[in-house]
Amino acid sequence: MPLGVMEMELFFQQIVNGLVLGSIYSLVALGITLIYGIMQLPNFAHGHLYMLGAYLTLWMMTIYGFRYWTAILVSVAALFLIGMLLERLVFRPLHNAPHINSMIAAVGVMLFLEAVARKLWGSDYRRLDSPYGEVISVFGVTITQQRVIIIVAAIILMIGLNLFLKRTVIGSTIEAMAQNREGAFLVGIDANKVSLLTFGIAAGLAAAAASLAAPINLVYPSMGAMVNLKAFVIIVLGGMGSIPGAVIGGYILGLAESISGTYINSEYKDLVAFVILILILTVKPTGLFAKEAR
Amino acid sequence: MLKLIDVSVKYGSYEALHSINLHLNEGELVVLLGANGAGKSTIFRTISGLLQPSTGHIHFMGQSIGGWSPDRIVKAGIAQCPEGRKLFLDMSVLKNLILGGYVHRKDKAGTARMLKQIFELFPILYDKKDQAAGSLSGGQQQMVAIARALMAKPKLLLLDEPSVGLAPLVVEQMFETIAEINRNGTSVLLAEQNAYAALQIAHRGYLIENGRLVLEGSSSKLRNNEEVKRAYIGA
Repeated sequence: MPLGVMEMELFFQQIVNGLVLGSIYSLVALGITLIYGIMQLPNFAHGHLYMLGAYLTLWMMTIYGFRYWTAILVSVAALFLIGMLLERLVFRPLHNAPHINSMIAAVGVMLFLEAVARKLWGSDYRRLDSPYGEVISVFGVTITQQRVIIIVAAIILMIGLNLFLKRTVIGSTIEAMAQNREGAFLVGIDANKVSLLTFGIAAGLAAAAASLAAPINLVYPSMGAMVNLKAFVIIVLGGMGSIPGAVIGGYILGLAESISGTYINSEYKDLVAFVILILILTVKPTGLFAKEAR
Repeated sequence: MLKLIDVSVKYGSYEALHSINLHLNEGELVVLLGANGAGKSTIFRTISGLLQPSTGHIHFMGQSIGGWSPDRIVKAGIAQCPEGRKLFLDMSVLKNLILGGYVHRKDKAGTARMLKQIFELFPILYDKKDQAAGSLSGGQQQMVAIARALMAKPKLLLLDEPSVGLAPLVVEQMFETIAEINRNGTSVLLAEQNAYAALQIAHRGYLIENGRLVLEGSSSKLRNNEEVKRAYIGA
């Protein structure tokens, strides 16, 4: 095979891998940006909700023998409820307190969730076996079915979320509150209901992302920390509270990591996010898709 | 219909409103005159539940609404077109209006009827209904803000300086529209600096200075008051 073709194939392979990573990052970042948009709360515990989602799927499959998709559904539903519970029990009571209190509470939730995971499932690294381990080859690019599923499922979830936000009145209330909080109050939107719903959706998205990613990564109690950091880099990159910013930022980071891992050095893969963070803070601190100041 | 009894409001330790007593009867159009920073918006924000009174009572249609959340107050029948409009700028005009009818979201037919009425009242909004609210001119955005408040089918409409920043011709149209809304049966509380125009359409008025109501009376009484003339009409 001529060298040029091999190089092209390697390049496309990295694009595909980048899209897989980006899909996961985008789903996590979407949740953080939704919550930030309506509550101005940086939910530092989001990565740990992601971790919880992965464990629940694993648990459903290993203990209860659920099939992969059933386990994911249970995990997403459970995280939807846990997200709402967090809002109701932890963040709502702090609503009128100084901003720093909610941030510290988020860190507290993070530590709590990690401790719960260690208690319930131990500190071992676990693997979730996907029924979709087969490798397929398209135009010389080899990819496991699981990775295809990640890319497609993420796109379906994002389209679904977009339709919900744009086409339904209930979904519009989330956008309305992000665009003008007082305006939303004055048309009679119940801020508590919207916060509750948003937390539920965000946590559900995290669970979906984690369950999709679990077969290609490992599952362990602190797995949420790095995902969380990267998701925050993404929303700084995309613009705090911006939904398109979270999606595009997620794919940018995924692709950047994958490509630099191949062409520079895979040991520096996790460094990429932080180089991007420093660059964006230097060049365009408001992010790529920041809402204009009003 | 609406009654504020000894209402005071504090921002921290600073008292922005000092025992306000104000009432509005069903069907009335009452104007609240005052300079910038006199406390007009604070009164409006308090009635809508965005601020809580530190003392005093607010009654609306026989219920004590002081301390209620804003959404509950909208459901009770008070809608506000606020200072600064507070539109959803990235959403279409139509979506702003539909969200304006949020409290009646289950009544789809009623919302459609209301939309039709709104477009009769503001024909220009029909032409612009698919444009982002933020792309409209100031006067058009003001119409969207009023229309959005009307979509809640309020019994009482609070209008906070609807004329601010508008061209004189547009201001005149705006006041005609407000008078028409009132004739159609909605009670209106209007905050204005433009005393001359406001007193032409209002039944009664109050004058507020430094967080205190200093004068109250019929429009003709206020129009002939020396202080109002000097400070707000420039005669």
